[in-house]
Amino acid sequence: MTDTQDAVSTVAVTVNGAEIQANPGELLIDACERTGTYIPRFCYHPRMSPVGMCRMCLVEVDTGRGPALQPSCMLPVTDGMTVDTESELTRKAQDGVLEFLLANHPLDCPVCDKGGECPLQDQTMAFGPGESRFIEEKRHYEKPIAISDTVYLDRERCILCDRCTRFADEVAGDTLIHFMDRGNNTQVNTFPDEPFASYFSGNTVQICPVGALTAKPYRFKARPWDLEENLSTAWTDSVGSRITVQSSRNKVLRVLGVDSESVNWGWLSDKERFAFEALNSVNRITQPMARADSGSDLASTGWAAAMSTIVDVLTDVDPARIGVIGGARLTNEAQYAWAKLAKGILGTDNVDAQLGDGLPAAVVLGLPRATIADACRPGGTIILAGPDPKEDLGALFLRLRHAVVNDGATLIELTPHRTGLSGIAAHSLHPRPGELGDLAAAVVAAGSGTASDAAGVAADAIAAAAASISGPVTVVLGRASLAESSAAIVDAATALNGLADVSFLSALRRGNVHGALDAGLAPGLLPGRTTLADGGEAFAEAWGSVPESTGLDTAGMLAAAAAGDIDVLVLLGADPLSDFPEAAAAEAGLAGAATVIAIDTLPNASLVAHADLVLPAAAATEVDGTFTNLEGRVSVCEQKVTPCGTARSDWMIAAQIAQRLGKDLGIESPAAARAELAALSAVHGDLTEAALAAAGVEGVLCSGNGSIAEPAGSGSVDPANDAYSLRLVATRRMYDAGTTLSHSPSSAGLARSIELRLNPADFDKLGVEAGSVVQLISNKGELMTPVIADPGVPAGSAAIPANSPGANANQLIDASQPVTDVRVERS
Amino acid sequence: MADPLDYLRGFAVTFKKLFEDRVTGDYRGGKAKEGAPDNKRPKPERFHGRHVLNRYEDGMEKCIGCELCAGVCPAKCIYVRGADNDPDDPTSPGERFGYVYEINYLRCIHCDLCVEACPTQAITESKLFEFSFTNRNDAIYTKNELVVDDDGMPQKMPWEDWREGDDQLTSGWMRATSSAGDHRYEGSVHWAGELGYGVRAPEVGQSAGTISTDGGNSPAEVRSENDG
Ligand code: SF4
Ligand code: SF4
Ligand code: SF4
Ligand code: FES
Repeated sequence: MTDTQDAVSTVAVTVNGAEIQANPGELLIDACERTGTYIPRFCYHPRMSPVGMCRMCLVEVDTGRGPALQPSCMLPVTDGMTVDTESELTRKAQDGVLEFLLANHPLDCPVCDKGGECPLQDQTMAFGPGESRFIEEKRHYEKPIAISDTVYLDRERCILCDRCTRFADEVAGDTLIHFMDRGNNTQVNTFPDEPFASYFSGNTVQICPVGALTAKPYRFKARPWDLEENLSTAWTDSVGSRITVQSSRNKVLRVLGVDSESVNWGWLSDKERFAFEALNSVNRITQPMARADSGSDLASTGWAAAMSTIVDVLTDVDPARIGVIGGARLTNEAQYAWAKLAKGILGTDNVDAQLGDGLPAAVVLGLPRATIADACRPGGTIILAGPDPKEDLGALFLRLRHAVVNDGATLIELTPHRTGLSGIAAHSLHPRPGELGDLAAAVVAAGSGTASDAAGVAADAIAAAAASISGPVTVVLGRASLAESSAAIVDAATALNGLADVSFLSALRRGNVHGALDAGLAPGLLPGRTTLADGGEAFAEAWGSVPESTGLDTAGMLAAAAAGDIDVLVLLGADPLSDFPEAAAAEAGLAGAATVIAIDTLPNASLVAHADLVLPAAAATEVDGTFTNLEGRVSVCEQKVTPCGTARSDWMIAAQIAQRLGKDLGIESPAAARAELAALSAVHGDLTEAALAAAGVEGVLCSGNGSIAEPAGSGSVDPANDAYSLRLVATRRMYDAGTTLSHSPSSAGLARSIELRLNPADFDKLGVEAGSVVQLISNKGELMTPVIADPGVPAGSAAIPANSPGANANQLIDASQPVTDVRVERS
Repeated sequence: MADPLDYLRGFAVTFKKLFEDRVTGDYRGGKAKEGAPDNKRPKPERFHGRHVLNRYEDGMEKCIGCELCAGVCPAKCIYVRGADNDPDDPTSPGERFGYVYEINYLRCIHCDLCVEACPTQAITESKLFEFSFTNRNDAIYTKNELVVDDDGMPQKMPWEDWREGDDQLTSGWMRATSSAGDHRYEGSVHWAGELGYGVRAPEVGQSAGTISTDGGNSPAEVRSENDG
């Protein structure tokens, strides 16, 4: 897969008597498979380097020196090579390899999760000896041992193929599992007392060619012949990894990665892989619920009654007093339906899919856009000015890591502190929070010869980073810290846009947020990357009307609601109390809105505390539609199971609300919504059913900026430095106290509690000790937290996770300020 | 117009049979009136009746919830789900046990493929055949009905009419076909002991071959073939 040469010259190889054309440098095993001759294998994996561990791929090869057995996974093709994959000698070798592998392999198939889809079973049936000659006792180990919270290891079943260990080492960079001991005692294991705590551990389960590694969420849940599957798209982050969703008896039981060349290469983060558990949670909302008055609890009601309430509250309301927050959970089709409902029918532009934790739409949509493949171009430069991809966008992290480690891409980090990529970054520059714009401008300036100190980073470090920029540049742009406003990132983006051959890859993290922006779920935006000003006329014609002026974003809506200026607030899969950077503002807004309608799959803090009406929504595996990833690539999500309880698809809810209001949304199916979007949008023209079907796992890339202009600088000035305070940095972690994870039994326990990370240099100044519990105080609130030393955090910064169980950073953050200053006090 | 006599001729066989000896027995399922004949015939050893789930001699269940029986079932009438054994109080030996086990007797065709598929001889068919339930729920036998009792005997369903010995020989077919129906294994024991019975003796009669008396696992002829 890595050797995609432009096939100017090929080499001729004779396989079983027939001549095939192979690419120079291609491995024999790949060339044969590509041309229809399957060679059995265990250790070889096309996304990892060959190691020749298992010898299953031995075939008889003659390169002119007479036929000999050679492992085809280690052998690049050469011109004139003659290969026999079916000769007597090859058969005998395959037979022998399998007999040896089975010498110590237990007869566990009936209780083994791999049984029925096991390469060892299958290849033994196809290429192995019919009966065993071994009667000796087999090797024994304790069965199975939990090597992490989600993965079990059964060493008796392991055939030592080195796939899991190679994945951990080469692909994920988490070298936490290894071979140990020797000879007959060789085994895979973790270091003593160090679990296989990798965000990517689930991939090893998927690629293990036997049942040695199994996943707890799937353990004994079903056998392969029970399962039905659909190709779909992962919904927990915005990478859009392709997955297959497998279910039995109308219940999703497993999610596996699918190899998509343009997106995830078959890999998934454990969050993408295991978060389906939340959709099977007993806490799923199955019934509409209503609150009789503000003091009482939510009580079940029917759809008819709930819809009547909605009609009552939405009739004769000034559109400016309606707000819709959220929508990143929805499919593109449901987002379009909601955009049409809100902007075309209700007439409000107070619509925002981001919760004040993202970036302005102009920055995401208006800059030259890159694909993941663009970012990973060999010899290119990746500038990370955003969140830690390892925490936020797992599959993207693996792709970027591969580009840097294997393909010679240069990585420059402009992040608030160390990230999961720092170990392989050419330069890690950590600006003072709020001053990223200065740093980016300084890097660009240094490129043209004038280096100076900026944002607390020394001039020579900036000069060195600037000097290392070569080839095409991709800026991975996102909101690294919730405690910094987006202004500095806007400034950084406009500065970096001055680099030659630069493009931008959005690192907004939340689910289908890019689909939401493309569907116009942002103030001032209309579907198809256009604005009210540019596209208003066309959409007014198509929809009947559009809002006259740009509405409020989430921060604006919450403030307006707190001031009593919003009557109806719709939370479309949104939890402002947990996710809006400033908890107090979210609380005031939700409390101030006269009616809060929440449309969601699981109960969250905002819903429980403030929703007056709750509608159950169908979740990701229960709806048909498409998903737009951070590149703008649209791929299919297919319904696998029926919606939970009486839950309905979000597009259907929008259509019903319109109907009850006496209007016609004109959308009767996801396909109809998609067709309407494709017809009206300047960037979705290619999104036909035929194109989607033809694109298969790769999806359809909807590129271009539409009519969104390049953003201007934010015009903000650097926040003043206060020598007595630290600047707060609040970053996301893969496992946090989010709603999905806390309802996923296998992952819920992985969220770590809050910890404050400080540069060791700050300890003396503050008079605190590592390990002690301190009070973190801002002008908005305070949190108790243990403190640990972390040299990866620059002096003067105070780093905490954004949403830990029991402690949310948004209790401290002042969302109206560019940065939040905090004081640390011993308690 | 057909000859009206053809109509009567059609009944010729019926009339003839009326006066012949009956081949069926008079069996009234235990509901015969006092003095009325009631001869339920003994069933052959390999009769395919309703299933039992066997237990080992120590009382543990043999079923490991592997779903092989469900997978092979041509009528798709078996529903199995496995689960982790509680290490302190295991239901079956090993990691996994049959947590849900259901057979729908409205669909089961008693082909015994499940019995052949079972790697632990957990599921076997008994000689019990009465299925006079009156609702669909009763037609689905669950673990409560299928697992043998603490003496290793089938559980009696309310609509079953047991005669002396009907509850015996609940694994006849399995013992005739093990292992994998290979006649060379005839007469050798390839199954574990059963609660209530111990190790059952092999069934005889598949072929005219001799019976191994050592109870060994491989008859000499098989051993020599494998060594060759
Ligand atoms: S790994 Fe494969 S061969 Fe081994 S016990 Fe499991 S299913 Fe059987
Ligand atoms: S655990 Fe699986 S993947 Fe790892 S070495 Fe063993 S067989 Fe290979
Ligand atoms: S009865 Fe036998 S085949 Fe069926 S699940 Fe139990 S152990 Fe497996
Ligand atoms: S696949 Fe070639 S040695 Fe394992």
